[in-house]
Amino acid sequence: MPPLELDSILEGRRSQPHQLIEVLQDVQEKYGYIPEEAMRVISKDLGVPLIDVYSAAVFYKAFTMKPRGKNVVTMCLGTACHVRGAKLLLNQATGQLGIESGETTEDGLFTVEHVNCLGACALGPVVTENGSYHHHMTPGKLRKLIDSLGREKTEDASHA
Amino acid sequence: MIPCLFQDCLAKGCFLNGHINLSIDGKTVICPPGASVLEAAEENGIKIPTLCHHSGLEPFGACRLCLVEDENTGRLMASCVTPAAPDMAVLTASPRVIKHRRNIVRLMMAEHPESCIVCSKGNRCQLRRIAAQLGIGETGLYPMPNYKAYEQANPFMVRDLSKCVLCGKCIRADHELVVAGAIDYSHRGFESRPATVHELPLELSSCTFCGTCLSMCPTGALAPKNNMFVGTPDREIPTVCGFCGVGCSLSMGVFSDTVVEVNPSRGKNTVNGSTLCVRGHFAHDFLNVSQRLTRPLIRRDGQMSPASWDEALDTAATRFLAVQKESGPSSVAFLGSSKCTNEENYLFQKIARVLLKTNSVDNGGYLSGRSALAPLYKRTNGGDRVRSLAGLEKAEAIVVIGADVTETLPVVSYGLKRAAQKGTPLIVIDPRQTGLSAHASMRLPLKPQTDLELINGLSALLVRKKAQNAIFTDHFTKGFEAFKEALLKLDLEKTGRVTGVTPEALDEAAEYLRGKSVAFVVGGGVLEQRYAALTLDALFNLCLMTGSLGHAGAGLYVLAQENNQAGAWDMGTVPDALPGRQPLNDSLAREKFERAWQASISPDRGLDLIRMIEEAEKGNLKALYVMGENPLRALPQPDRVKRALEKLDFIVVQDILKTETTEIADVVLPGAAFSEKGGSFTNLEGRIQFFNPAVPPPGEAKPDWEILDLLARKMGSPRRFGSLERLRGEIAGLVPMYAGINEGSGAVWVVEASDKELFKNEGGARVSFAPVSSIEEEGQSDSYPLTVILGSVRFHLGSGTRTGYSGRVREFHQNGAVELSPQDWTAFGLQAGDSVKLTSAHGSVVRETAKNSALTQGLVFVPEAVHNNDARNLIGLFPLGQPDSPGWKTCPVRLEKL
Repeated sequence: MPPLELDSILEGRRSQPHQLIEVLQDVQEKYGYIPEEAMRVISKDLGVPLIDVYSAAVFYKAFTMKPRGKNVVTMCLGTACHVRGAKLLLNQATGQLGIESGETTEDGLFTVEHVNCLGACALGPVVTENGSYHHHMTPGKLRKLIDSLGREKTEDASHA
Repeated sequence: MIPCLFQDCLAKGCFLNGHINLSIDGKTVICPPGASVLEAAEENGIKIPTLCHHSGLEPFGACRLCLVEDENTGRLMASCVTPAAPDMAVLTASPRVIKHRRNIVRLMMAEHPESCIVCSKGNRCQLRRIAAQLGIGETGLYPMPNYKAYEQANPFMVRDLSKCVLCGKCIRADHELVVAGAIDYSHRGFESRPATVHELPLELSSCTFCGTCLSMCPTGALAPKNNMFVGTPDREIPTVCGFCGVGCSLSMGVFSDTVVEVNPSRGKNTVNGSTLCVRGHFAHDFLNVSQRLTRPLIRRDGQMSPASWDEALDTAATRFLAVQKESGPSSVAFLGSSKCTNEENYLFQKIARVLLKTNSVDNGGYLSGRSALAPLYKRTNGGDRVRSLAGLEKAEAIVVIGADVTETLPVVSYGLKRAAQKGTPLIVIDPRQTGLSAHASMRLPLKPQTDLELINGLSALLVRKKAQNAIFTDHFTKGFEAFKEALLKLDLEKTGRVTGVTPEALDEAAEYLRGKSVAFVVGGGVLEQRYAALTLDALFNLCLMTGSLGHAGAGLYVLAQENNQAGAWDMGTVPDALPGRQPLNDSLAREKFERAWQASISPDRGLDLIRMIEEAEKGNLKALYVMGENPLRALPQPDRVKRALEKLDFIVVQDILKTETTEIADVVLPGAAFSEKGGSFTNLEGRIQFFNPAVPPPGEAKPDWEILDLLARKMGSPRRFGSLERLRGEIAGLVPMYAGINEGSGAVWVVEASDKELFKNEGGARVSFAPVSSIEEEGQSDSYPLTVILGSVRFHLGSGTRTGYSGRVREFHQNGAVELSPQDWTAFGLQAGDSVKLTSAHGSVVRETAKNSALTQGLVFVPEAVHNNDARNLIGLFPLGQPDSPGWKTCPVRLEKL
């Protein structure tokens, strides 16, 4: 892992404990997760005990402690999606990629997650892929989506 | 909480003073403003069940069990977080309240494992008690136990978070009381549990194993880990901790005459409140080890063999009297104990002075700087004795100098950290980064043994900034002008050179202190160094100059390493003073005691601890009586001490445990630990705390004061005291500062009797400034290029005799690794796991090594107490310089990689 560069994030926020969430959001944005070392630096520079940084970081779903894949596929398992077969979608994704929900594939291309409601119940079942919403999903559509995302990335790699 | 003054209110008719009256369960009650409904109810004897409330913590409102119903609105409110309001009317047990309360407990029980039968919390489980009170056997709900990994890798506590009800007491104790930052809520919802950072085991977190959370846990989620089945205590007995000088109030859990558990006492206004440290909580298992002495022993033909009390005491008495008669009073000496009670120390020195006519009496407090404090005590002439630790949290600024309190006196460190958390400026003066540094406003990393120069520099800066408290110095002191002149002449560049502290850092520190009355916390780093007495003088000068005396929350807090260090001195177990710290060469004081004791007392100073060893080496000292001390482990140069003491004709050791010293004794008398006898200890605040036995002594062992009482009779004392009350009566009559000792229960304070105006209400003399002294820059010798700093670790006290017998402390694997700076680590080419040999001019130790990135280059930290306290080999055994200062905190060494 390259050395952390947090100066730009911490600039002007040092010794201000109330900036904790904002700093964590920026770190999440920059690295895709909250590295362990980053928590130590944040703790020291903001003057917040390490345990408080950790407690905040694990409380919010917006922060992850592990690096995530290039593509984050998120299933909604809320009530409306559930009754329309969201569980099948989750099975499709985890089966296809060979990982459990919350895990990342070994090649670092995919992370599968589930949430309890995305607030788009009328469109269910809903799946988001890197922030874009796919409505009325079926296992078949999801298979194609994952296939195409996987191809895109391999093509990227072969072009490069 | 503010006490409710119900009776007073009625009597004085002070309803208008803001006191609130409300109705609880139809009964009109009165409570002070700011109290919660729960507090108001409790004060008036109305019980409301709760799991998350604790009087020592901020209200939290997590468990919702303390629901009450507002009669006016019908609303249900958590009473612990609802402030009492005028004309409020609440019901604590209405059918609605009970219905909801039952539902909450049912839900908790549905998540709780069905392991009550084998749970060590047993009948003390608050959840179980409340469930039983509410008649909840079956929850009638689908059980959803939330199994979590059982954590018990450390030897001190077991965490079974399946039983956690998320009351948050452990987390709040960690954050609000001990400020360790080890645990917090982790995750949320059903997943939520108290956890360490990255859910690591406790031993890898910042947890100090103080056990405060464990004593508060309402369920079996946190429990002490015992190496064997010990049973659930059948009674709890209050007592006072026998380890460090803080003197925490304990509650000993006793099961069939064995202490099986220790918790902070629930008493009010105790030193420690609801906190303890790892020693107080867990190291008391030394009380039950097989190495306890249970019967008197006499050496016969080189072998120790059991004897009757009569025989042992007869031997001790006749041999001592014979030696004294043959070789004179200077041939016998008495080593008393800073761990034994006031009553015992009084009796001990009385035996020495009256029956054997010798002033050669000392105690282990000598090792931790008692002699360096004596000149300061003389300067205040007996004032400034009483200083409550609670005051520290009210200080305007705090300076901690030479005190690694998180390790030596953890309970003091909690107060300091709480103060820092509230924003009190905290300056740490220490060559090493200590556990307090992270909480401090700043640290001044000075070179070892240069504290004197630093304090003078700080005083000089404050004078230059005209930041002295002129009203104070004008009113209470004399000699300020001369002191000021001397300071103005001080070369601050030299200060920087000698101490290694930059002028900017010193200036920043002075700014923190400007215009404030300051609390100075002084520890072993100052008391045990070469310039101890001079540094204390300089610190006291700074106290006077800043007006930091005479009121709570400021002044000189001198830390005592051992529980009755102050008391042993007060009781005269010292070579140069009578009980009450009355100087031996004061003929008025002497006459008073001569009259009372009907004996003549020599005005000549006796042998102190070091001189006892020297005289034994020379063959001039022939008999030694040791009570509750282990000089063969605690003194520098243990081998030399052993050789010296083996030369003695006769040595009696009265102790509770088999120690290095009992091995060479001619007579061993088994005494009782503090939990097995009555008595009193005087803590570092000047608080005399009384205690009664919790359990009987093991086997034939006897309380030490009884042994001394019997011995005195055998040595020719006309009559026995026979009871603690009579002993205390004599002390109260002869020692004005202990006038309160007749009280016999709870706690009383030492009576200050100074002639200085500062410590009296009016009139009296002024306190003078001590001359400004200075030290020279010291170069490092080529043959010993590194400097060792000896220091304590949290798990042990002093030389570690008692704590070393604690199975749990031993199991925690303290390898006593010496710590080196990263620069030295690299320079010596060390790898993890390497051992090194440290050699000083006096001896050497072999230890494993550890890299400490916070250590300055050239410094080596060597933990004491471990490995039979072999660190004592490094320092020399020599008489103290004048003024008496030990100078064995640091020593130059060279390092060889093995």
